[in-house]
Amino acid sequence: MEHAAVDVQDITKRYGDTVALEDVTLSVGRGSVYGLVGPNGAGKTTLLGILSGLRKPTAGTFGVDAAHIGVLPDTPRFDSWLTASEVVELSRALVAPGVAESSVDAVLEQTGLLSVAHRRVGGFSRGMLQRLGLAAAVIGEPEVLLLDEPAAALDPAGRREVLDMVSELRGASTVVFSSHILDDVQQVCDTVGILKQGQLVYEGTLDQLVRNAGHEAAYAVRIRGDGTQLVDVLKSYGWVSRVSLESEVVTVSAASGAVLERELVRCLARADVPIVSVRPVERSLEDVFLEVTQ
Amino acid sequence: MSLWRLEYLRLVRTYRVWILLGIFGFFAVLGPATAKWLPEIVERLGGGVEVAVPPASPELAMAQYLGNALQIGLLAIAFVAASSLAFDANVEMATFLRTRTTVAKILEPRYVINMVAAVASFLIGSALAFVLSALLIDAPRIGGTVIGSLLVALYICFAVSVTGLFASLVRSVPGTALLTIGALIVLSIVGLIPAIRPWLPSDLVGGYDALINGGDFVYWRAIASAALLSVGAIAFSVYRMQRREV
Repeated sequence: MEHAAVDVQDITKRYGDTVALEDVTLSVGRGSVYGLVGPNGAGKTTLLGILSGLRKPTAGTFGVDAAHIGVLPDTPRFDSWLTASEVVELSRALVAPGVAESSVDAVLEQTGLLSVAHRRVGGFSRGMLQRLGLAAAVIGEPEVLLLDEPAAALDPAGRREVLDMVSELRGASTVVFSSHILDDVQQVCDTVGILKQGQLVYEGTLDQLVRNAGHEAAYAVRIRGDGTQLVDVLKSYGWVSRVSLESEVVTVSAASGAVLERELVRCLARADVPIVSVRPVERSLEDVFLEVTQ
Repeated sequence: MSLWRLEYLRLVRTYRVWILLGIFGFFAVLGPATAKWLPEIVERLGGGVEVAVPPASPELAMAQYLGNALQIGLLAIAFVAASSLAFDANVEMATFLRTRTTVAKILEPRYVINMVAAVASFLIGSALAFVLSALLIDAPRIGGTVIGSLLVALYICFAVSVTGLFASLVRSVPGTALLTIGALIVLSIVGLIPAIRPWLPSDLVGGYDALINGGDFVYWRAIASAALLSVGAIAFSVYRMQRREV
């Protein structure tokens, strides 16, 4: 890929007889947000460890085109006797000594920790440590950010904030972000790589992933009143592969999305049923993920 | 905040430096005090049984300080140094440091500050034992005390270097400290062989008593081996840790 910030070629990592990664090749475009997903033990943390220089591949090559890489481990921990401010200040001094000290407070504010900046981190919850880890990772605006499960320990509001932060980094930094929370990946990532037992089984955009999964398209038709009659009418058409009724919603599936989009409204008009709404049923990344990894 | 300040804060905020000062300070008081009053204590507790106790002397006071302080003190030094040098014991903290700077830069202040803290604690204790001995009994030989203390200071630096060496071989803090203590004990046992003894760093400890007692300075070989082995241990630990995966 042209302008790739992260380039991985045929990386294999073995621990004795155990293969953690096998011939993984991927490329992350500069300024994009790349989601690395996979079940536990798929090799996500190992791959991030290699990219951050903490582990060496058994075979293959990789390149990270950045002078400054920010890394957030999945369960960040710091010396308990340091304050939050000191942790971020240490990170700034090590990776970006030229950046003004005032940026420490700005980053702590961004991660919601300014009010506890001078508290020792020994008393921090896991969610607060994760925010602190993120603050220490983003200080100095790294060109590449490697985030291992950055929102795993956070409450819904905290997750939203972290995901917003990651989204805001798009363009300025290249983010590789592992997660098993597919909803998070779906919200912020441009490209996704699915790892299964150490192998990259899919790499591409989320739209492509869902579209190329080879499954039928579906629309949900909300009606007023009894939908049984509509179900019977729709079942009579040859292009309809499946119809289901739940409450007042009729879900119509067809092998071809194009045919469904062309024919459905026409058929609904003929059926003479009160229609409240018609919307496409989007298959979640989770649905596709389960299909790909199982 | 620099890595040097980080190590300073580790010593101060976790009370490690006070533990070292407390141990050496306690034995600095106990050494001269027991040398001075041991005959009376033994007489009172003896219940009529006669126990031969050496007469109070400044040499005995300093020997009491070194003998007691170095046993417990080395154990404390090994644990304090291991808690800093074995930074890979906690993967997340190691990740934080290793992804931001080099192993050599991480280890540099850790070696220096732990050596300085341990040596300073010992020297303060030695100076206190000297003063108390002078007040309670008589002044020990000042030249012997100074040079003997510097020999032990070098031995302490060697002990910290050995701790770093084991920190590069194992990941746990207790494991690193216990291996260090084990290695120092083995070295002392090997030192029982007369032909080898002058070449071993452990001979430096014997120089403290010997020089305070007016002995000759015959420790160049031990100084050279301690210096060389310390540098070698430090270089090896940097090499090993640079190649270690987290």
